[in-house]
Amino acid sequence: MTTDHDWLDHILSADDDYIADDGFTARVMSALPAPAALPKWRKPAVAALWGVAAVGLAIAAPGAMVDVGREAYRLLATVPVSIAGLATAMLAVVAATGAAAAYTLRGND
Amino acid sequence: MADPVADATLIARALVAGDRHAFAELVKRHQSAVRATLRKLTAGNHALADDLAQETFVLAWRNLKSFRQEAKFSTWLYRIATNCWLGDARKRKEELLGDRADAVADEDDDAMPHIGDEVHADHAKGTSLKMDLERAMSALSEGERAAIVQCYHNDLSHEEAAYVLGCPVGTVKTHVLRGKQKLKAALAAYGP
Repeated sequence: MTTDHDWLDHILSADDDYIADDGFTARVMSALPAPAALPKWRKPAVAALWGVAAVGLAIAAPGAMVDVGREAYRLLATVPVSIAGLATAMLAVVAATGAAAAYTLRGND
Repeated sequence: MADPVADATLIARALVAGDRHAFAELVKRHQSAVRATLRKLTAGNHALADDLAQETFVLAWRNLKSFRQEAKFSTWLYRIATNCWLGDARKRKEELLGDRADAVADEDDDAMPHIGDEVHADHAKGTSLKMDLERAMSALSEGERAAIVQCYHNDLSHEEAAYVLGCPVGTVKTHVLRGKQKLKAALAAYGP
C-alpha cells in the first residue's frame, strides 16, 4: 500500500537516466586554464644573477677568495690525504656542482 | 575486466603531475551526476545546468589542492555545483534568498502552483510527472530545493547535505520538511 509519506519519496528518489557525455568532457578540458609556464628568460636570468653575485663578491672582498684558497690549501696540506681520498673528494665536489647546476637550470616541465 | 582506478588515485595524479588525462577521467565519471543535479536545481534548464556543470569542473580543477578527502569526491563536486548555482541565481535575482523567501512562501501559499488541480488537464496535454515535479521544485526556495535534491536525488545523508550546502544539519532537516510539505501540496494529484 502506498502511504501518504512514501509516494512523494518515491517520486523524488526516482533514478534519472544516465546523461551521455556527448562531448561534455572535451568541452570541460578545453576550458581548463593552460598550465602555468615559466618564462623563457628564467634560465639565462638565473645564470646571469649567479655570475653577477660571484663577480660582486670578488670585487667587494678581493682578499677573501685568496684567504679562503690559502686556508683550504693549508688544511689539505697538513692532513695526510691519499690519492684515492683526494679523487673521491674531487668527485664529490664535481657531483655536487653538477647537481646544483642541473637543479638551477632544470627544464620547465 | 580491470578494476577502475580509484578517484583518489586519479586525483593524486592530477595534483602531483598535473595529469589532465586523469582529471578528464574524473570528469567522465562524475559528469552525469553533476549535470543531473544541476538540472534539478535549475528546474530543468538543461543549457544553464550544463554551463554551470562546466564551471563546476573548472573550479574543481583549480581548487583540487584544497580537496582534503574529508568527503567523497562526488560530494565535494556537489558542493561546488551548488555554490555555482547559488551564485548564478543570485546574479539573476530569480528568487529571494533564505528566511525572507521562506517567510514570503509561508505567508502566501498561493504562490505554490497547485498542479493537482490541473493534473487531469495536464495529462490530456501530455504533461509528464517529471515536468510537474520540475515546476513544483522551481517554486521552492533555493534552500529547500537544494536540500531536497541532495537528500533525495543524490541520496546524501543530512550530514553530507549540510556539508554540501554549507549550513547546519538542523537547517537541512527544516528545508527538507518544508520543501516536502510544499511538494505534497503541489503534487497532490499523484498521491494516494
